[in-house]
Amino acid sequence: MQKIVEVKNVEKIYGKAGEKQFKALSDVNFEVKPGEFVGIMGASGSGKTTLLNILSTLDTPTSGQVQIAGQDITKLNNNQMADFRSKKIGFIFQDFNLLENLTAYENIALPLALQNASVKKIKPAVMSISEKLGLTDILNHYPTELSGGQKQRVAAARALVHEPSIVFGDEPTGALDSKSARALLDTLTKINREDNVSILLVTHDPFSASFCDRILFIKDGEIGQELKKEDSSRAEYYQEILDSLGTFAE
Amino acid sequence: MLNKLALSGIKHRIRDYSVLFSGLMIASAIFYMFMSLATNQAFLSSNSPASATSFIFGFGIVLLAIITIVYVNYANTFLLSMRQKEYGMFMMLGAKSSKISKMIFVETFAIGAISTIIGTLIGIVATGFVSRWLISALDMQVKHFSSFYLPAFLWTLLFFVVIFMFSAIKNSISLRRSKVLTLLNRDSQPVKIKRNGVMKSIQAVLGLILLAIGYFAMWYAGNNPGFIMMGIPIALVTIVGGTYFTINSFVTAVLVMLKKNTKYSQKGLNNFTLSQLSFRINDYTKILAMVSMMFALALGAITVGLGFNNQIDNVVNGQNYYDVQITNPDAAQTKRLKSLNIEKKDTYNYKIDGQNIYYRASEFKKQPIGYAQMNTETMQFKLKTSNDPAKNTNAQYELMNARLPSQRTMKVSFVGDAEYNAVNAKGSSLVLVKTNSFKDNLPVIKQISKAEITRYPSLKDAGGDKYSSYTLINGFFSGLEFMGFFLGIAFLAMLASCLMFKILSGANGDVKRYNMLYKIGTQQKILRSAINKEIAILFSVPAILGIVHVLIGLQLFVKILYKPYAHIEIPFAIFLVLYLAYYFLTRYLYKKIVLK
Ligand SMILES: Nc1ncnc2c1ncn2[C@@H]1O[C@H](COP(=O)(O)OP(=O)(O)O)[C@@H](O)[C@H]1O
Ligand SMILES: [Mg+2]
Repeated sequence: MQKIVEVKNVEKIYGKAGEKQFKALSDVNFEVKPGEFVGIMGASGSGKTTLLNILSTLDTPTSGQVQIAGQDITKLNNNQMADFRSKKIGFIFQDFNLLENLTAYENIALPLALQNASVKKIKPAVMSISEKLGLTDILNHYPTELSGGQKQRVAAARALVHEPSIVFGDEPTGALDSKSARALLDTLTKINREDNVSILLVTHDPFSASFCDRILFIKDGEIGQELKKEDSSRAEYYQEILDSLGTFAE
Repeated sequence: MLNKLALSGIKHRIRDYSVLFSGLMIASAIFYMFMSLATNQAFLSSNSPASATSFIFGFGIVLLAIITIVYVNYANTFLLSMRQKEYGMFMMLGAKSSKISKMIFVETFAIGAISTIIGTLIGIVATGFVSRWLISALDMQVKHFSSFYLPAFLWTLLFFVVIFMFSAIKNSISLRRSKVLTLLNRDSQPVKIKRNGVMKSIQAVLGLILLAIGYFAMWYAGNNPGFIMMGIPIALVTIVGGTYFTINSFVTAVLVMLKKNTKYSQKGLNNFTLSQLSFRINDYTKILAMVSMMFALALGAITVGLGFNNQIDNVVNGQNYYDVQITNPDAAQTKRLKSLNIEKKDTYNYKIDGQNIYYRASEFKKQPIGYAQMNTETMQFKLKTSNDPAKNTNAQYELMNARLPSQRTMKVSFVGDAEYNAVNAKGSSLVLVKTNSFKDNLPVIKQISKAEITRYPSLKDAGGDKYSSYTLINGFFSGLEFMGFFLGIAFLAMLASCLMFKILSGANGDVKRYNMLYKIGTQQKILRSAINKEIAILFSVPAILGIVHVLIGLQLFVKILYKPYAHIEIPFAIFLVLYLAYYFLTRYLYKKIVLK
């Protein structure tokens, strides 16, 4: 079966040679299959954002290969990277990153407009994803008129509207209250199930992680054990996560 | 410890600080340039025939002072927007607000003092350059002008010290008053969203009506001089108001229309740019309106200044028909004549007997004499010729001025050939030359005129030829022209820097937006062109309005100036070049701040 994400021997060292160097990732290997909902879990400073930045072409690895949707992204130039991001990847950030001078509709339409899609295509795409995320009533609002949960759902819609190969989330529930966090995670799960969208979620929060099919634990820049959900319920899985966090931390 | 931290903060933002510094230096340099003219009474009184000049300059000082205060205020906002987060952080960590407010006071004042001193020095150098350039480019005669003028220097320092004092106090109070959290989160403070369509459409209509009234008043006052005392104030008030409303509403309406056109707006970053602009316009209305007005005044000053230059041609050409006059040409003068581009050359012989001077009527039959006739009412002149000067006083006048001074009062007779030959006196000859263009042949004409004075010293104070009337009139108008240019350039530089600062002071808040666009996959190229477009529109709105104001405003001068619209491309070109330079500088600096 084809892989959506394939990471091989990735290493990231911050700081130039000769200066003070810091190894944020060492020999990271893993893969994500189409339609999977994968979580990467680790404490603060363990290298999650670094890894996600590399996967999303915002940063380059010091060594190693990253293939996304069959393409080696470490060999792209800047323009190709930008195009790649705008076509193949969807992002959900912790702090929403919505443009506050555009309405929700316009924010969601942005990735399609960037690809110069025709107006005929933009409108139905925005409407259909908004319906799925329950945003139809607030499309004409500006971000400042929305609650945190609504903002994050708008951000999720923006990440999904152009049907990317994979959606990356960097602690997307980090700035939300527990109710909104849960609603968002439910929505993501639903989209993952129904539309077969692959999702890679990075988080330090066991509750968020418990929505994933599979969790990779990261510590000090290294991927440690893996925990699969298999047939357990979400509550059971949550307990398993807490247990392995205990062992993993030792 | 805190001081050290604050200093290291400056080191990290050296780029932003260099923007701030250069902006403030430009401000004080321009202020000095202007003051070097405005405070120099000897210069003003010796270069301007009109007593109104002092008044105009007084008015200019007030305007420039207002712009400068607004400008420093923007610069100050820029400084605060850079620093508040850091100072907020110090406060959160427990620094006393009195300590922080003292720090921002010292910082603001120190930045002001340093940039003012350096800027004024730059102003002295720039004044030297600009004045020398203007004087040579426009062949001006300017007296009592020097690029270093102590009172101007002192006034500039004093003025800036005072406004920076106020800014420093303002900053320290505003920091002391604000809550730590507001300081920390200022970047992410919500943008106000206004949706009052009805008000806007009323404003749009009102703005256009006011502009129409103002334009009409200028046109009417220009063509009916009796109305001018009333027309100017009416025009000023209505146009200021009209400009404000037009920008606030009409421009917004256009943006909204563009946004509604989804074919256009949903392409690439167009929608983003349009939204940035429509949010900005609210915030920018005042400055854009001010810049339009100042732009119009500055451009108007230069255009009218140049209008005086055109006046020179008009007056000079109306004074003499011929460009060159030579009595008894010698070999050297004949040689000089050869390098002129001659349109008409006439040679007349004459004889002097006591107080009588005799010309040969037949020579005038063969070569009709040219003369200029001025209509004193319209200030227009006509060039004519006559083959019988005995019956034409204008032709006689032209001929009289062509003679040597001692012969000008003699009794003139135009006689037949036989009678002429019978006069028992030595014959002389007078060569009169009209070139294809006085201006183009000016250097040689000048040489010839100087050589005639050497040959006939009595010409020195009497003049009579076109070159001497030119020098006289040029001296008269140059002062006005110089002031117009200087004023115009100083104003333009100032207001363009104002606009630049206003745009740059928003740049820090835009960093996040552009970073986000970059993250979701916008190519750098597209980001750049979006920025270029946005800044181009912010620059062109006031420029377009300003140009329209000037084009119509020149109607005020149709009766005063000869052809006020002639050569209008020159001031416009100078302006556009300077203004474009500012546009490119602004977008360069903006990109440096916003893009990585
Ligand atoms: N630009 C950078 N330069 C140097 N070190 C960095 C940089 N970014 C992150 N790091 C370091 O790399 C490690 C991992 O950071 P990060 O990936 O942000 O962790 P996480 O997202 O898991 O909290 C941290 O120790 C951090 O200090
Ligand atoms: Mg992180």
